[in-house]
Amino acid sequence: MELEKAIGITLRLGVALSIILIFIGIFLTFVSGNLENLSESNSSASSLAQIVFGLFQLDGISFIFMGLIVLIATPITRVLLSIFGFLFERNWIYVAITLIVFINLMVAIFVIPGLIIK
Amino acid sequence: MVLILIVYFALLLIIGIVAGLVGSLSGLGGGVVVVPALTILLGVPIEYAAGASLISTIATSSGAASRYIKDGLSNIKIGMSLEIATTLGAIAGSLIAAYIYSIGLFQIIFIIFGIALLTSLIPTFIEYKKRRRSRMNIDWTTKTFQLGGRYYDKARKRMIRYSGFRWWFGEAVMSVAGITSGLLGIGSGVLKVIAMDWGMKLPMKVTTSTSNFMIGVTAAAGGAVYWALGYIQPFLLAPVVIGVLAGSYYGATVLNNIRGTRIREFFLTILAIAGIEMILRGLGVA
Repeated sequence: MELEKAIGITLRLGVALSIILIFIGIFLTFVSGNLENLSESNSSASSLAQIVFGLFQLDGISFIFMGLIVLIATPITRVLLSIFGFLFERNWIYVAITLIVFINLMVAIFVIPGLIIK
Repeated sequence: MVLILIVYFALLLIIGIVAGLVGSLSGLGGGVVVVPALTILLGVPIEYAAGASLISTIATSSGAASRYIKDGLSNIKIGMSLEIATTLGAIAGSLIAAYIYSIGLFQIIFIIFGIALLTSLIPTFIEYKKRRRSRMNIDWTTKTFQLGGRYYDKARKRMIRYSGFRWWFGEAVMSVAGITSGLLGIGSGVLKVIAMDWGMKLPMKVTTSTSNFMIGVTAAAGGAVYWALGYIQPFLLAPVVIGVLAGSYYGATVLNNIRGTRIREFFLTILAIAGIEMILRGLGVA
């Protein structure tokens, strides 16, 4: 039951944080007046380092990217929390199942991009 | 230039709101509206439309899931055990999409999307009949994977205990649901319902909320691959995600009472037209 509460809070916090970041991003984008090439920027061109760097420069698009990263990370955090929850319950088969799901997600994030030829 | 961008931005926001509304009222999720609306109405390339739809799906799933968990309706264990198949499927599906796009066969995605949209409408037109559930829905997977639980039924005012079986059937259908999700950028809620309700004989309420709960993790796997492929456009996504969240929240809370009325039928008709339009676009007719 405690695990379910923690998961519920994580999901709500994740979505809220993501919306705040996206709103800041939209605001900064319109305020900066730097609206050229907006519709051409996409995710393959920006690395995480560039996005974090962009946050410090108050770059609107970087804030939107960060909001989207938080959004994608929210369900992944939920899976990670579940691993600890099942460990705590000593439910070994579900520790294994949840680990497999988590590994699948890590493969999608870190392994697959390296295999894609651009 | 600035004015055009503001108008474009407002249009995207409205599309997002409508998609969220229709998605939550029809029970099909926002994705089936976002993709046709962006491609047909605004001429957005389909890979970017699919990317926008997939990420909005994560937002609505996470938003709704926290509510379902509070009600005790979604079964975290059953959801997790099936996510093995949906995440692998989503990775495969998004790679298949990347391959199809790389050889320039965009029309195929339009046609598959249209077919998926039309078939997902079929169960919503057939009245869901309450059938007697056999009490014998137990096999070895019920015990091994702990496919059971209980929830409080508000209408009947009592605790309902349930159990499911045929885990392998669920897992097989879920891998198809994952592939569809990655290929088209949608939640594939209908296939998830087929797997859990028809296949594993879980109660409908548990099925729909667990399916919603699962969609976020499935879409996160597909979304990560889409990210690497460059299908995520920040300026397109910002208004769409916010719109879809606002629309589905409004649809789920304020408009919850108008389910099963003419408004719902009107939305379903619009979706059917969108499905046909997608197929025609793919065939090069429209």
